[in-house]
Amino acid sequence: MGGDSAPEEIVKGVAHASLHTDIQCLLVGDERQIQTILDAIAYNPEHISIHHTPDVIGMAEEPKTAVRAKRRASILVGAQLVADGHADALVTAGNTGAAVLACAQHFRLIRGVRKAALASVYPRQIEYPGQDQLALLLDVGATIRCDATELVQFALMGNAYARGVSKIPSPRVALLNMGVEENKGGDVLVQAHRQLKSLSGINFVGNIEGNDLAKGKADVIVGEGLLGNVVLKLLEGLAEVVVDLAGTARQENWRWKLGFMMLAGSLGKLRDLTDYAAYGGAPFLGFEQLLIKSHGRSSAPAITNAVKVAAKAVRDGVTREIAAAVGRLG
Amino acid sequence: MILRRSKSPPSLPPVVFYWDLDKTYLKSEFETLRELVRIPFEKPEHKVAVPGVVPLIRGLRNVAFAAGRQVHIYFISASPPQIAKAIKEKLALDGIEYDGIVFKDQLHHLVRGRFRNLREQVGFKLTELLKSRMTLPAGREVLFGDDWESDPIIYSLYADIVAGRMALSEVDDILQAIGVDPQLIVEAKQLATKMVPAAAVSRIFINLERRTPPSNFQRFGPRLVPTFNYLQTAACLFQDGHLTLPAVAAVAQALIGQSGYTPERLANSLADIERRGHLQPVNAIAVREYLAALGALPQRARPRQRQSPWLRVRRLFTATPQPPPAADALINYQALVAEWRR
Repeated sequence: MGGDSAPEEIVKGVAHASLHTDIQCLLVGDERQIQTILDAIAYNPEHISIHHTPDVIGMAEEPKTAVRAKRRASILVGAQLVADGHADALVTAGNTGAAVLACAQHFRLIRGVRKAALASVYPRQIEYPGQDQLALLLDVGATIRCDATELVQFALMGNAYARGVSKIPSPRVALLNMGVEENKGGDVLVQAHRQLKSLSGINFVGNIEGNDLAKGKADVIVGEGLLGNVVLKLLEGLAEVVVDLAGTARQENWRWKLGFMMLAGSLGKLRDLTDYAAYGGAPFLGFEQLLIKSHGRSSAPAITNAVKVAAKAVRDGVTREIAAAVGRLG
Repeated sequence: MILRRSKSPPSLPPVVFYWDLDKTYLKSEFETLRELVRIPFEKPEHKVAVPGVVPLIRGLRNVAFAAGRQVHIYFISASPPQIAKAIKEKLALDGIEYDGIVFKDQLHHLVRGRFRNLREQVGFKLTELLKSRMTLPAGREVLFGDDWESDPIIYSLYADIVAGRMALSEVDDILQAIGVDPQLIVEAKQLATKMVPAAAVSRIFINLERRTPPSNFQRFGPRLVPTFNYLQTAACLFQDGHLTLPAVAAVAQALIGQSGYTPERLANSLADIERRGHLQPVNAIAVREYLAALGALPQRARPRQRQSPWLRVRRLFTATPQPPPAADALINYQALVAEWRR
């Protein structure tokens, strides 16, 4: 029940999912508060159950301290319920750090996986018709530094997720680097490149530079958590600056206003493309159980989509595929 | 109205169950013109009952009989009498014993040019309920409707008129505000004056077929219970003493066996009606344990449901109180009608 608009938007999103899908949702949070919200909206009670817990970790709280202090926080109880098999996946729009810690505390790493990776999706240019509008970037902050084997494992995880959830038969996997040449980026990246190139069953397309991230050259981009997080924040920041600039320019004079009106259709399409509500959330991969992390600002439609993404990943056996791929790696 | 009175020793006050047909008993689809046109030509075997309604009605009759209580089951429908044959055959196919069924004579209104009456149901159903009340022995009444048209307002109005809680002028104002045919207003008022006041209607169940938010019905007071499926209704009827646990189980088993429900969906439904305060925890536990023993609910409970005996006792005492009796609820009909018309 974390998130900037929780619990209202979370409950509304789940209520919508309950009416339009057969997914069984278990809401973890203050029972009375949740029921009060449900009472005022359309929902299907047959698809919703509530697990009462009084605490929630706020978005601004320091994750480590909060996780230690609030043992009955919804994210911790939710992770425990998933670990105990009462649910198949965990969806949260709450504090990312707390979510990562909750998973680390309660979930088991897939046999052979050395580190879990937090993924994120971002909109990119489309190179051919039917290409997924979103690329998967991992890791975006669960790790700081990684070795070559860990990066290879991230690539396998991203590959399995893109195949299962995005339905890309052979996702193009790339390594985020400072140059496209094989020998660029230092020992870890060079070694990872070598290992990925030698792997069968993965469509490794080599290194990818920052300026190619927004193009449709790769479906899965792999990097260390530190780098991935910087890239993700940079993309988000840029998007905000563009929106801000557009808003300021629109107020400038009537010619600008007219220009914006003429571009309204295209801008709308751009807005749809960059709307985080459309993709719902991104996974935390490497555990036997699945976490889908939604944007903190998630609205009800974003939560509905996150629930659908989680169900899709579970039904398509993404974690099983990861386990098999990592097992083959040895 | 066809009367086939049931005979049983009158040791307990008689009980009358009034049922709406479309969307309450039958899963009628008339959202599109095509579906609406198809209804009169539908064969009885093609008509589909709402999941769980058949064992529920059978249970109501059987439990009342077993308790030596006189029981009457009536259907009041705004459907035209032209489809009566198919409906009666459908009820026979389902093995539903009933004591009367009323249809709305739409042709009569059409011939007389009363086009407004074709769509207006309040006047028709209210007068039919009042007429029926005059012919039956005084007893308890339970009404079943849905959230498609105006069942909540009709049933609540009827309950308050029968209870003598509404002045004739108030009835007149409300029916006029709704736009009821003046002749029906006169008839309703005449019937109301003849009524011996009694708090007869103990419960109104509204089937949330359209998934209307439950809070929309709070203004009707605790007498009206909006339910999402017939297991929720059955559990509340068990609480009110109209059904036994085996009868509730029959509804649950029909939902699982015939309508694709899962034990998990049923468990969620029970938890929902309990959270909404319509089912007391003590009764919810009784229903849950009985159904779980039969395998109609999941055997494996989440940690919270595996409560210690002490926690369970504490939960019983801190639970939502039983809704107050109907007489305590005062409904602001003027506000309701104003909103209803919007």
